[in-house]
Amino acid sequence: MALRAARWRWSRTVWQRLFLLLLWLGQGTWVLLGPNPGRHWSQLADVFSRPSQGLASRWEGWRVARREARRNLAESRAETARLEAELAQWKTRAAQEAPRLSEADEAVRLLGLKQQIPLELKAARVIFSTRPATFGGLILDRGQDLGLVDDQGVLVPEGIVGRLWSVGGTQSKVLPADAPNASVAVMLMRSRATGVLQGLGSERALIRYLSNQEVVQVGEAVLTSGLDRVFPRGLLVGYVAEVAQGDLELRVVVNLAAPLDRVRLVLLLPPQPPLEVQPPFVAPEVKPPRKRGLP
Amino acid sequence: MRMSTPSFTRQNLLCAAALGLIFLCAPFPQVQIVLHAMLVLALAPRAGAPLSGTLWALAAGWVLEGSHLYPHMGGTAWADMTLTLLTGWMAGRWPLEGLKGWLGRLAALSVLHAFLVHGAVRLATVPYPWGGGWFWTLLSVPLWGWVAWRLLQSGPGSGRR
Repeated sequence: MALRAARWRWSRTVWQRLFLLLLWLGQGTWVLLGPNPGRHWSQLADVFSRPSQGLASRWEGWRVARREARRNLAESRAETARLEAELAQWKTRAAQEAPRLSEADEAVRLLGLKQQIPLELKAARVIFSTRPATFGGLILDRGQDLGLVDDQGVLVPEGIVGRLWSVGGTQSKVLPADAPNASVAVMLMRSRATGVLQGLGSERALIRYLSNQEVVQVGEAVLTSGLDRVFPRGLLVGYVAEVAQGDLELRVVVNLAAPLDRVRLVLLLPPQPPLEVQPPFVAPEVKPPRKRGLP
Repeated sequence: MRMSTPSFTRQNLLCAAALGLIFLCAPFPQVQIVLHAMLVLALAPRAGAPLSGTLWALAAGWVLEGSHLYPHMGGTAWADMTLTLLTGWMAGRWPLEGLKGWLGRLAALSVLHAFLVHGAVRLATVPYPWGGGWFWTLLSVPLWGWVAWRLLQSGPGSGRR
């Protein structure tokens, strides 16, 4: 074994043979590579560069997506800012238009009420309210210029408001129905028992002069009786809130139907209206007779 | 009578002359192929010293192909290297005794050389026609074999194997 190892030293002959072998193998490899040997290197480079190419492609895709997302975000922010500005404008406009819209709604409702009552009604706007003060009332923007006089009834679509207390040249004062010194002739809707409404404040009032024998239910509607010649019969005053037996008469507390603290437009009844008014006659719709055999 | 081995100088000079002739005979492909076979199979191989012969064969292959500009060269050179190594090994393994054996061996190696060159070039490039070079080479084996015999054997040999 040691002899064989000694014979296999790197002598000149061995170097020559090794060189020959490498030369022969290299030339053979060159031949086996065939035409266009560069394609093998290209394919090898393609194989090795595939991961980096995929990584670069993903990186570029991620950058494009991020750029797109950033642009979308910026556009969304700009759109949001624009929409917020527009919303603010709309809110401002709505806030500006709200009183007019509310007044317009109220005017429409007043117009409906005016068409239901066959009397010459006049409209006025509430310009100030002194109701929080004792014996306070509502100040209207019309007075003698509209031909108003004292003790004209004032009402809104929800119910009666009160009566004119004093009339000036261009303004007038309304005594609301819940004032302690106000009185309205009323009647109960079911029993038709009549009484006099006296104010208690805070949109509440008390019906006086109702006999203990009357049967009154909580929630029952209270209407004007027309006996005071301020309001005609049948206008809604409010609803019974409490009923209690008294010594001589029933103690009936009424919640007024009209929102006295939020009234802005009112209708004024003519002075000394008739006791009872009939609603305008509306002809019912006549349906055409259905022919037999037709659906 | 075992044939004597020529000197290195004579053999290398003869190889260089043959290589130059191959280069100069580029306009005559048939002659070029015969000279090429003579260099690879007769002049370059040397028993016990394969390196110089292989390099001459390599140069012969490249010169032959370079004069015709193949698409992907190298096939002929590789075949020449292989045949020269084989021939040198055969010369050491089975020493020749005379001209007849020499010519017979050359004829057989010419056929093998033709096949190997064709296959290698086919591998390196594309399929191509055989042509008549192998035929002229085989036909002229007595001529260039005798010439090579005379050139290698004339004069005093070095005695090296």
